[in-house]
Amino acid sequence: MDVSGIIASNASKYQSITVEKETPLDVDAALLVVTDLNPIDDESYSADLEAHLQALARDGAQALIAALFALPTQRSDDGPLAQLPPPTTALPRAKPLPKPKPPTKWEQFAAAKGIQHKVRDKREWDEEKQDWVNRWGRDGKNRRVQEEWITEVPLNAAVDHDPRKIARDERKARVAKNEKQHLGNVARAAGTPRDARKQDIERTLATSRISTASMGKFDKKLDGEKKVRGVKRKFEPAERALADEKDASLALLARMGSDAKKTRREPAREEDVLNVRKAVRFASKGRGGVAMGRAAAGRGGARGRGGARGRGKR
Amino acid sequence: MLRNIKPANARSKRALDARLPKEIEDPRTTIFVRGTHTGELLNGVMRDLMALKRPHAIAFSKKNDIHPFDAASTSTASLEFWAAKNDASMFVLGQTTKKRPHGLTFVRMFDNRVLDMLEVGVQSWVSMADLKTPKSTPGHKPLMHFASDLFDTNPRFAQLKSMLLALFNGEVIDSICLAGLEYVISVSLGPSVPAPPTMYPNLVTEDLSALPTIHLRTYTTRLLASGTRTPRVELTPMGPSLDMKLRRHTPADPELLKQAMRAPKLKKTDVEKGLGKKRKNIEVDEMGDLRGRVHVGKQNLDKLQTRKMKGLKGGDGDVEEQEGEDQEGEQEGEQEEQDGPKKKRRREST
Repeated sequence: MDVSGIIASNASKYQSITVEKETPLDVDAALLVVTDLNPIDDESYSADLEAHLQALARDGAQALIAALFALPTQRSDDGPLAQLPPPTTALPRAKPLPKPKPPTKWEQFAAAKGIQHKVRDKREWDEEKQDWVNRWGRDGKNRRVQEEWITEVPLNAAVDHDPRKIARDERKARVAKNEKQHLGNVARAAGTPRDARKQDIERTLATSRISTASMGKFDKKLDGEKKVRGVKRKFEPAERALADEKDASLALLARMGSDAKKTRREPAREEDVLNVRKAVRFASKGRGGVAMGRAAAGRGGARGRGGARGRGKR
Repeated sequence: MLRNIKPANARSKRALDARLPKEIEDPRTTIFVRGTHTGELLNGVMRDLMALKRPHAIAFSKKNDIHPFDAASTSTASLEFWAAKNDASMFVLGQTTKKRPHGLTFVRMFDNRVLDMLEVGVQSWVSMADLKTPKSTPGHKPLMHFASDLFDTNPRFAQLKSMLLALFNGEVIDSICLAGLEYVISVSLGPSVPAPPTMYPNLVTEDLSALPTIHLRTYTTRLLASGTRTPRVELTPMGPSLDMKLRRHTPADPELLKQAMRAPKLKKTDVEKGLGKKRKNIEVDEMGDLRGRVHVGKQNLDKLQTRKMKGLKGGDGDVEEQEGEDQEGEQEGEQEEQDGPKKKRRREST
């Protein structure tokens, strides 16, 4: 039996599903992308553009589909689902990563105590009704007492004792407490700068208290008003570690060099053609600005004195 | 900026929550915007691109005075407003002018801010309707094909590739139905002309006309039986077909890009499965068995414990040579040579 024909036809089929390129094609299966990094062939491009493009695209698509069909699959109603690997091409996100939710006060406490989170069923078994009832909400069990058609009243109860109202008020108080705690959690999560605000108010109050003519000495004191304390001077210890001292000195030097804390700024120096230093030296014939000023003053009145002193010094 | 909306009911709360940042993102919703003048060609191009992008596409059919590359205009503010309003993170703008005919601008957003922009000039176009061939089902994911070495080497084309990927195939999925691979978007370039060597390579301004033409083609796939598991692929042109030239662009701000490229932390289960780190020395052989390779440290034959004999205790080299067995004699002799310098050292240290 001659099977060479079958083998040859099989081989031709195999050839058509393998793609041979100088640079192997770069397939990112997760994004369904194939990149062919071989330079474009000039001849086939200029000969027949559409055929060239289609041949290129076929090779790329063949390589990509071969890669996708080689992936492990899972069955589904619509056909096999290829399980894709994580992507290798990084693309910028459209939105920033979600921030982790700050823990609530309870979550912090539970974490500190090691309390496990337990999911509580919304429904509860009712022995009397022999049925599952809601814990809260429609026909909720938390309203059982207030919906009871008859309730026991203690002997020493007041005249206006209303067990339904008491039960209802308790329930409402629990709801209100929960809401308050929720709002507190929300405010904490939003990062309300409560301490900063408090500090600001205290500082303003302290300033206003010493802003009278007597610096607040004769002001009426309120009950429970705190005494304004001034700033206590603090001194560094005389002996410190060498590294600390060095750091402090360097920090001081840096502060002196920088303009960050200067209150009075020097006016910007104008770029002038006149070099003042040279001009003074020239005008005073090399004796300096002081001598020139003295000479000018001497011409005005006390010339002899100035001259004599000058001579005397020499 | 849009005002902060407080949801009045559960439905609007769900709608707002759907817009919040997610770890695994939805596909980028794209808004197709017409500029002041578009013309028939650009309208057709944008209509066809929108047909490919559906259902994550929004059309702005009215004219908009928008010039994203003009720093003096308020276009960036407009884009940011539209992005926030429509929860869209990508734009395709069409604008034709005398100076820049048939300009198509792709704008990518991050956190409702403009990340980067890229303009191409459409040179020729064949619409989807012109080709009387079978079309793909709307909403199916395309395969993408990029062909040229410039997509790796030239930053302009790398940006184009990244932009088109984000437009058509950006979202990360964990599985795909193999029967649904219906069409290919192929982006290929003309042959790249190497730039003539110059004496001052730093002073050369980018010559846009030297950059090769971009050919964007779309084909439907036919998967034919090949006798193996992998089918043979045949392509049929589907349209649209675009020939484009690169024009202006704005690269991404490095600081913003750094934020945008931040990847979510891998989940613990994924790490256990072997994601995120290379699984070295583990392979599955042809029989499907997991095979591992273990590295044992280098064997030190000098420290090898051989047979202990009374006669060898504390002896000199001379004693050994008198011993009978050849093998043993060799081994012990080596050990003695090793021991020699050790003893010396000990003496020096004391």
